[in-house]
Amino acid sequence: MDQKILKKDQIGKFYNEFAGEYDFYAPINKKGSIVFEKIENPEDIVLDYLNSKVPPKSVLFPQEEVLFEYSLDEKDVEITDRQNLEQKILIFGVRPCDAYSFELMANFFSFHGNWEDEIYLKKKENSTIIGMGCNTPRSTCFCTSVGGNPFKKEDMDIFLTDLGDKYLVEAISDKGKEIVKKLSWLSDASKDDLKKAEDLAKKAEEMIVTKIDVDTIVKNLDTCFEHPVWDEISESCIGCGSCAYLCPTCTCFDVIDETDQYNNRGRRIRIWDTCQSCLYTMETSGHNPRNTKIQRCRNRIMHKFSYYPTNYDLLGCVGCGRCVSVCPANNDLRVILKKIQNIEKMESEKINA
Amino acid sequence: MTETVLEEKKVDKNWEPKIVAFLCNWCSYAGADLAGVSRIQYPPNIRIVRVPCSGRVNPYFIIKSLTDGWDGVVISGCHPGDCHYISGNLVARRRFAILKELLEFFGIEPGRVNFMWASAAEGERFAVLIRKATKIVKELGPNTKFQREWC
Amino acid sequence: MGIEQDNKEIISSIRENAKNLLSENQVDVVIGYSEGTVPLSSTPIIIRRVEDIEKLTWNNLCYMNLARYLAPLMPQLCDSEGKSLRIGIVAKGCVGRAINLLAVEKQVDLDKIKMIGFNCNGIVNRSKIALEIGEKEILEVNISGNEIIVKGRDWEKRFPYDQYINELCKVCQVKSPSSTEANCVGECQELETINDEFSDITEFETKSAGEKWEYFKEILQVCTLCYSCRQACPVCYCNLCFVDQNKPVWFGKTTEYQDIFTFHLVRAQHLAGRCVACGACSSVCPVGIDLNFITRKLEKIVKERYNYTSGLNAEKVPPMMDFKMEDAQEFMLEED
Repeated sequence: MDQKILKKDQIGKFYNEFAGEYDFYAPINKKGSIVFEKIENPEDIVLDYLNSKVPPKSVLFPQEEVLFEYSLDEKDVEITDRQNLEQKILIFGVRPCDAYSFELMANFFSFHGNWEDEIYLKKKENSTIIGMGCNTPRSTCFCTSVGGNPFKKEDMDIFLTDLGDKYLVEAISDKGKEIVKKLSWLSDASKDDLKKAEDLAKKAEEMIVTKIDVDTIVKNLDTCFEHPVWDEISESCIGCGSCAYLCPTCTCFDVIDETDQYNNRGRRIRIWDTCQSCLYTMETSGHNPRNTKIQRCRNRIMHKFSYYPTNYDLLGCVGCGRCVSVCPANNDLRVILKKIQNIEKMESEKINA
Repeated sequence: MTETVLEEKKVDKNWEPKIVAFLCNWCSYAGADLAGVSRIQYPPNIRIVRVPCSGRVNPYFIIKSLTDGWDGVVISGCHPGDCHYISGNLVARRRFAILKELLEFFGIEPGRVNFMWASAAEGERFAVLIRKATKIVKELGPNTKFQREWC
Repeated sequence: MGIEQDNKEIISSIRENAKNLLSENQVDVVIGYSEGTVPLSSTPIIIRRVEDIEKLTWNNLCYMNLARYLAPLMPQLCDSEGKSLRIGIVAKGCVGRAINLLAVEKQVDLDKIKMIGFNCNGIVNRSKIALEIGEKEILEVNISGNEIIVKGRDWEKRFPYDQYINELCKVCQVKSPSSTEANCVGECQELETINDEFSDITEFETKSAGEKWEYFKEILQVCTLCYSCRQACPVCYCNLCFVDQNKPVWFGKTTEYQDIFTFHLVRAQHLAGRCVACGACSSVCPVGIDLNFITRKLEKIVKERYNYTSGLNAEKVPPMMDFKMEDAQEFMLEED
């Protein structure tokens, strides 16, 4: 039987099983924000959180990552290779939307197998994702509209359901099954537990009230590149890029060489970049093809809801609602999508008026 | 005194600070020259960058020097009223006043950044002030706040 | 009289003034605030037709400084030839200050701007409330009487209003725009000078260098260098920010403390004599850093050294664009 029970007071024991072999990442409270970080003490894990402020993409694709370091001496250049990619990683407590984002990012980092980003893919291969169902989705969530579900299990290795004082443990992938098999001290789940988990899943799905017709949006985006609706959409945007930084599917990065000339050494790092920054598309000649806020705002929506479907046959949004809640100017993605959804209606209204 | 301070801070007794000095072309640089030709001794800790005017010294220069690991920064220009460009040093003075207070507010020891006036005729004064600045920086010890961790 | 009543009066006066400006064709557009779609927020909005006036609102969550949209002027506020439209702008005191400052710096044309002034009654400190609520979802925020009522799915929490507004608002002395009747409809005042209170800064200054360093390290280390503070700041309008300059690179782009520190230090330096104390930077910070603590220090320096408060009128030259022969120079190194 694949369904087991993990009591909440056994989390410490659970952690100890993995601590030596794996880098154990879990949600912790860092000055009021929930973030995924490598933990040393199982007591730091925050279990009753809605969703993390910074998505767990930061584990596999951190904001800054050293690709290699070099040092010069006399004639020789010595290159120290990048980090150890063979280290096993365990990410605990990932929400279904974020677990799905790992798959989306893998698409980007392997671009149909034509090109491979070894760092991300290796790390992903070596990571085990222990997901957790979303009992109380936030009012800003809309995962059900973009093909997700608060209890979607596909993208995880092990799936946990919070049943109050214990977790229902379900092994999903082969990797997960093997791990659960090893944890022989887990007790079996009763029929009641399964029933309760089912009820929770149903209840959670009902709680998501935002419904967006994504098909229409994808269709409309094909024809509205020059539409005046973008003026309206970008009106309140201040161009900060918080939306992109906290988006679980944003993958853009910038590669930077840093030199420490006084000590004859240097390193190449990659850091997150955002299409909302005006420097993002700036060319060496000084020409900037996306010079205005309107174009940059448009790019973000187009990328997620038009280019992603074209390139990968998938939506580039997982519906986590982070950009909705973090936007300082409250430029709500849900409102933007509604506007695009109703673009035809808007036009006919204008003609009538 | 300096040596006992360094001992307390567990710094090598032979440690010498490295100080970058931005000198204005018309007064202080010529002042340094005069100190040289007059054979007035001053500490060899400073590395001189010649700038057209103290008004050319952007606060970035100073901050970048500190983050790059220089132990101290010296900026020297013409006395007020003597500026080759009439008022460059007066504009700079306001900028420096704010930067100095701000650095202190952020917890950088105020002695790391020193501003001074020295004219082309004041070789002696230049040497004295550089001696003083070097002593201040030496007492503060190495600038380790901005050291990065490299593998 | 409670805050609620205040707000109602403010809303009706804003709407009336905006309506008059639009219907009398004194302005082409009005920038104002509208109700936010998530709790603890509000959306800046551009009103073009009199019919949309009802969308304008005021609550104590209108933390954005609307002058942000004036410099650089966004394309939505320009006519087909790229020239500025005539703009009406809902102006709390600090928006007025920002517009004055931008006018001194020749970034906006005051002739094209009409402020719709009112007596601001404070902005709720959203980071502080969010921090105290913690990992629970806020579904509704109301202000009633002198309390901020925060509601969630099955809980409710009340915060006393006067303690949970921005620190800056607590000591604010420019509640309505400092401007003349020519540039402003509604409430305005002509201020010459104000006496700011900086007791918290003065207290902090007595700490040792090490303590100060540790304090800033503590509060700044969560910074993600998203530059929201720069983007929200009404007086940050450089074409190419020092952050983005790469010849030379002034500071690294990593989130190591050295880089975070340099960014905040230089940003602060740029705001000397220019910060208008609107608190937008703190309010938009996604990780809730109290950036105003730094900008207030700048206000203090400028006040003490040059007796200047930014944005009180559109004529007085800011201290960093000016100089005097007799400026204090006690910090210069002198011979013993």
